[in-house]
Formats: sequence, C-alpha cells, structure tokens
Amino acid sequence: MAGGLTPASPVSPGAEDTQTAYIVMVVISLLLAIALVGGLLSAVRGRGAAPEPRRTRGTSSLQTRVAAGLSVLALIVFVFGIVMTESSSEVEGTGPDGLLTAQTDLQIPADAKPLNIRVSGQQWLWRYEYPDGTFSYYEMVVPVDTAVVLDIESIDVLHTWWVPALGGMADAVPGSSNKAWFKADETGSFEGTSTTFSGPGYPVMRARVTVVEPDEYQAWLGTQAEGIQEAQAAVKAAVEDGTAPGVELETGGDSGEEPTP
Amino acid sequence: MTPPLHTAGSHPEVVTELLDDGAGRSGSVQLATSGDHKAVGRMFIATALTFLAAAVTLLVAMRIQLIIPEATIIRPAIFDRLLSAYGVTSVLLFAVPLFLGLISHIVPLQIGARAVALPRVNALSYWTYLMGGLTIYGSFLWRPAEAGTFALLPLSDNVFSTSHGVDAWACGVGLVALAFVFFAVNMIATVRLNRAPGMVWRRVPLFSVAATIVSYTLLIIGPIMIAAVTMLFIDRNFDGIFYETGEGGAPLLYEHLAFIFFTGIYVVVIVSAMGAISEIFSTFSRQPHFGQRTIAGSMAAFAVLGVLAWMQNMYSAPIAAGFLYFTMLVALAAVIPAGLIIFNWIATLRGGSTSMRPPLTFALGAAVLIIIGLAGEWAQSVIPVGRQLDNTMVAWGDTHFALIGAGVLGGFAALYYWFPKITGRYMGASLARLSFGAIIGGTLLMVIPAQLAGLEGMPVDVYEYFSDTGMSFYNLLSSLGAFVLAAGVLLTLVNAAASYNNGTEAGPDAWGGDTLEWFALSPAPPHNFDLVPDVRSNEPYRDIREAVRRRSTDLQLPPARTESAPEPVAVAAGESVAEEQAASEPDPEAAAVEAEPEDGDTGAEQEFGGTSELDYPEGEEPASEADGGETEADEDDGPVA
Repeated sequence: MAGGLTPASPVSPGAEDTQTAYIVMVVISLLLAIALVGGLLSAVRGRGAAPEPRRTRGTSSLQTRVAAGLSVLALIVFVFGIVMTESSSEVEGTGPDGLLTAQTDLQIPADAKPLNIRVSGQQWLWRYEYPDGTFSYYEMVVPVDTAVVLDIESIDVLHTWWVPALGGMADAVPGSSNKAWFKADETGSFEGTSTTFSGPGYPVMRARVTVVEPDEYQAWLGTQAEGIQEAQAAVKAAVEDGTAPGVELETGGDSGEEPTP
Repeated sequence: MTPPLHTAGSHPEVVTELLDDGAGRSGSVQLATSGDHKAVGRMFIATALTFLAAAVTLLVAMRIQLIIPEATIIRPAIFDRLLSAYGVTSVLLFAVPLFLGLISHIVPLQIGARAVALPRVNALSYWTYLMGGLTIYGSFLWRPAEAGTFALLPLSDNVFSTSHGVDAWACGVGLVALAFVFFAVNMIATVRLNRAPGMVWRRVPLFSVAATIVSYTLLIIGPIMIAAVTMLFIDRNFDGIFYETGEGGAPLLYEHLAFIFFTGIYVVVIVSAMGAISEIFSTFSRQPHFGQRTIAGSMAAFAVLGVLAWMQNMYSAPIAAGFLYFTMLVALAAVIPAGLIIFNWIATLRGGSTSMRPPLTFALGAAVLIIIGLAGEWAQSVIPVGRQLDNTMVAWGDTHFALIGAGVLGGFAALYYWFPKITGRYMGASLARLSFGAIIGGTLLMVIPAQLAGLEGMPVDVYEYFSDTGMSFYNLLSSLGAFVLAAGVLLTLVNAAASYNNGTEAGPDAWGGDTLEWFALSPAPPHNFDLVPDVRSNEPYRDIREAVRRRSTDLQLPPARTESAPEPVAVAAGESVAEEQAASEPDPEAAAVEAEPEDGDTGAEQEFGGTSELDYPEGEEPASEADGGETEADEDDGPVA
C-alpha cells in the first residue's frame, strides 16, 4: 500500500495534504541532518595531524545569528504546519460523482452532503454503523467522491483508526468521540491497521475500506440489511426453539431488576 | 584506606571530617553501606549495565519472533510481556541510571566538591532504583505485565489486565521515579552548595551543567509519574475512578501524565549525552568549548521545550486544536537549541587537533545518531506528518536512533571517557573499535529497514506481521541488525568487565582534560581532593598546568605541548613526594596513594604525554609546590614526620 519512500499514495484530499507535508518535512529535515552530520564528520577528518589547536571561541553575535536563522526556519515550518493541518482537516464537499442523497445527522453546510459513519473500535475488530442503521465489521463500504465523516469511539481500550491512503490516524478513546474524514477519489480497496497496542489480538486488528460507485453502495446497503435481518431472525428463532448453543431464553419474570440486598 | 585529616583552622578548604565510607567493613558490605558518591556511582553504573544486557536480550527475543511473517516462535502473551518490560528496562533501568551513575561519580569531582551534599539520600536513590528494577523483574517469577510499553489505560486496568503484573509494573516504575527524585534532590543541593571557590555558574563544566538540568527535569517529571502510577494502583486495587470513563475520570489523563514523564525521560537521556559529548569533543580536539554558555543555555532550553512538547505523540488523540498547535510550536522550536548545540560541537572540533580515541569515536557516533533521530522527530512534529507516522515503525526508528545514540553510544562514550577516573584503568581500544562498528552498523541495519516497513504501514508493538504486506524482507534485515547491535553492546560490556581489573593503568589525567576531575587521583580517594584549588576560569586544570609551566621555565622544558602534558609534572611531583614519604614514613598506604601517578604514566598515552619525566634534569623536582594536590601532600608530611 505504500508509494515507495512515502506512506501510501493518497486517494483523499486530506491524505494529499498529509503527503505534501510529509514530503516537504522529509526534504527539510534530511537536508538539515545531512548538513549537520556532514559538518561534524568533516570537522574531524584530516585534523589529526594539526599541530596545535586554534583555541577559537565563538562570539555572541555569531551565536545570535545562528539562533536567528534556526528560529526563522522553525517559524516557517510552524506556519506551514498550521496551513497543512487546517487544510487536511477541512471537510470537502461531496463531488458530482458522489452520493448526492447522502443522509446525515451532522450540522454541516447543506452543500457538503457528507456521509456519516460511526466507527467503533473493540478488541480486536472495527464495527461500522451506517446512517440507515445497517452495520458491518472489518470492511467499510463507501461511495466514491463522497465526503465521509467518521465518528470514532471505542467500547473497551484505546485503538487507532488508520487507513494510510485515506489520511492520518485518529484514536478511538472510550468515553469520547474523535472525528476523521475522507473523500475517496477512486474506487478500490484500502488497507489499514490499528497502531495502538491493545492486547494479545492487536496485530490482527486490521481494517479495510472498499470504495465503490454510489449505486453499488446503495445495492450493498440493501443486501447487508437483508443479511442482518435474516441472521437476526435465525438467531431469534433458534433462541425461541431453545436450539441456540449457549443461549438461554430469558423469561419475562427474572429479566431486568437485580434483587437488592 | 585512611585519608589525611586536618583540622580546619585557617584553611577552610581543607578536609575536616571524614565521610563514613564504610571503612573497616569488608568488600561488598563496604560498597553497599558507603555514603561515598563514587561508590554509589559505581553501583549505579554496574546495575545499569546489567539491565542493558537484559534490555538487549528482550530486544533480540522480540526480533527473533519478527524475522519471518506470521511466525509462532514466541507466544503472543509472552511477546507482550517482553514488550512491556523492554521499554522500561531500556530507558528507566538502563539509560537514565547509567548517566546518573556517571553524574554521581564525576560531577562532585568536576565542581571540586569533597562530597555530595546529602550522601545518604544519594545512596537511598540507588537502593530505591534497584528495588524498582527488581520489582519489575520479580513479576517474571509469577506473571508480568502484558499491557504494553506505557501500560496505557484502559488496557492496564483490572478489567483488561486481571493478573497482578501491572501492579508490579506500576510499583516498579513508581519506585524508579522516586529514586530519580531522591537523586535530583541530592544533586541539585550538591551543585548549588558544594562548588569549589571561584567555580561560579559560568565556569561549571558542561557535564555538570547537564547534570543540573537533568536533576531539575527529574524533580519535575518524577512526581508526575509517581502520581500517575499511584492513581493506577488505586484504580486497580481499591475501586478508584481516576481513569474510569463514565465515573468522571478519563483514560487520557493517564496518557498525558505518562507521556510527560516518558518525554521528559527522553529529554534527560539526550541532555545527559549532550553534556558528556561536549566534554569529550573539547578534550579530544584540545580546544575550549566554542561557546560554553551557549551550549549550557541551549541544553536548558532543549529540556524545557522537550518536556512541554509531550503531546507530540498524541496528535491523533481527541485533543482541542489549540493545544496541538502549541505542542507543534514548542516541538518545532526545539530545533533552535538542538541546532545551536550541534553547531557549537562542529565549531569546537573544527579548529582543533583531534585524536581519534575510543571516547571521541563513540561520541561522534552518538552525535550522528542523535542528529538523525532528532531530525526525524522534528519532521513528525508537524501535525499531519505526525498523524501519518506516529506509532508506526518510522516513529519507532526515530526514537531508537535518538535513544541508542544518546543512551548506548553516548553512555558508552562517557563510560570510555571516565572509566580511567572511576577505576584507574583504560578500557581496551581494539575491543572498543569492534564494539563501535557493530553498534553503529547494527543500529543502521536495524532501524532503516524497520522504518521502510513502517512506511509500508507496519505499526509498533506487533508480535506478527503478514506476508501480504510487503514487509518481510525489511523485517529480516532489521532482525539481523538487532543481532549485530546486541553483539556490539556485549563487546563493550565485556570490555568494561575485563578492564576493571586488568586494563592498562591510567594516571590521574588520563586524556589531558581541562576540568577538575582530572586533577584528582584515579580512582579518587574518599575525600576526592587533598586540596581544592581556586577556580579562575572554565579550564581550571589547564590553569594549574600553566602555573606549573611558568614556575618551571628555568628548567628549559620543551615549549611545545607541555601545556597538555600534565603527567610528567604530576609524576615528578608525586614521585618525589612518594620518595620523601618512603624515606621518612614507611606507611605503605600513603605510599600507594602517592605512587599512583607514577603507575599512571606507564599507561598514559604518548599523544598527551609527549614528554616524560626523563626530560627533567636529574635531581630537580619541578613544581611540587605549584601543583595544588601535591602541596597538600607536602603539608601532610609535616605532622606525620
């Protein structure tokens, strides 16, 4: 999923900003590191034969000039960082090829029309809940060219939502909701993984986002909802028959209140 | 050994009270009960190096599991135990205590102190640290923590970690943090109260400045971690709700507190290494620091900015944008002090006459790895970049570059540099070269492929990865690198153990350094100095040599290189005193103390000891009264004889 020496080739505007920031920062810090390492190593090369040390000390004006140069560098990078952060976290409106009838409960400009999906982390699986109440595990299906806003939370321990091609990480923290967004430019499947240690099943806590055309998405939602209903009906029937393994039917009497001592 | 005693009278700089160094008790009991900062330092160093061996073993075991994808060599639960022990062992039990040991041993000598201000607190610090380490490793007898490097909540609470491993982890980390606080209290009191006459702040050597900064940092971050693990312990065992979601607590609170501490520890390791590297660069280029006050101020600024940037690893957490921008600002601003320090290192080396001895080799390697690691960390300080790379093997790699650079290479550089002062013997140079090559080669081979795997999307802390993700070859290379690194580390440990009793003997002034610790004998006696000189510049030992040379001009000393050739002077003085003493007072112990410099000359390096005692005319005893340390010895002879 990687693009050579950069993390995943981006397919979402936010991920493109991340990619830009990454390349700029790698170049700057690489140049800085090469200059400093080069300066250090060239300072000791061939000096062994020097008869006497020069015993030079720096003047404070020289030190001030070096500090000023570094300050300017830090300030430029800081401004650049703010611009890229703002730009990568600004939700872009759904495009003309996207799902124009997307449903949302978010108060977002009407022309944005984002698709709002609840992402819930649990040991060691992701659960996605779509606006119509349909849900799926591990694989999230979304329409192409549609702004997708994720509400990320956890029901147990810390997890991190991260699909590199679609943008940066967002932690799933129990008790608070985190936001992320993407708008996939192209169809396809994109792999992701959790990056916060969450216990013995942590390495298998992977995620996949499959981007499809809007009509395919609608069709998928339909079959997914049917499948869920069928499965739930089957389980309910099995429970009522008493044939479900490990499940005992609760009678009305003893459900609910616990006896108080 | 009975050091010479004096009543103070009109000589307040003369030792008046002998610290109880456990004399009369034997062997290990004497070492364990000693209040001597040098004994405490030696115990710190030995224990830290033992834990380094443990950390390397853990790393190798984890990398064996990661050689091939989907391996089942080590069970996931076992891997998680190794992982949970690795982080605290490598940083809390090795890197920081190694530097604390060196600080405890060397800093009082550097500032011309006869003892630390609170010797028992110093000893308490060591024993608390040891108990903390044993608590963490004791849990391996039953069932250790499996909650990851930082034991983040809620994974580490009693719902998800039911065994008492996390309790042992929390107690151990809390004890170690407490030990760091004890250490800091003593060291701050020592550098504030016990400096030699004339040793004003601008003349305090840079390693001692680093020690002061490190102590203040530990004093601030230590209690934070103690509070964090105490609340964790209460949550786990006494129904606390500090970190309980829905009860008014928050798991992120622990993450903040723990990251303040661990970010601070990262800063402590790097600042300690920067102090040691500065001293080594100055000594081995025979140059004064290009900007001593700039480096000192920059180290302080780096520590402040570094600790304030603790949220640099939390960009993906639900935190308001304003806090993240503040974090980005301070993290990016850290390039100013770090860049200034490295600029000053380059300038110090550039004009110098360098000699590539083991300490300089290790210090250069340390500087290079610190630069690479800090540059990578700096790039990740930009929020979108951090959100893409945090907690991947890229970030893991940058942390390992910086901490292997500062902790292992920087720590070893300091160890090679001060080993002659601590033991009176040099560490072997050929083993040092082998060890250095293996460590730097192994680190590059381990980290760079791991970072490429990180760019393929490999997260940290995983016990397996999958063959369809294209990281297999990178992980194979990375594991090979870890094995080479481990071999390199073990070579230096073997070198230290072998040289402790059998190394080439070193004189007091092993490398021609200009700071006061080289003015004391090697190893220094319990009271450190017979006489503490007045300090008149930031190169006090150089001043002493100059004074000796001025008073000896009528002896037609060779003009070149004598200023950096202290041994012959000291030897001539020491030898003559020893001879006098041997003639007048056949005390074998006193003779042994005074004869030390003579032995040192045989092991002293010719580069610094270009002249030998043979250059002096027969029968002349140059400068025996000019050399402060020996003047005191002369005075001793008075009452004895």
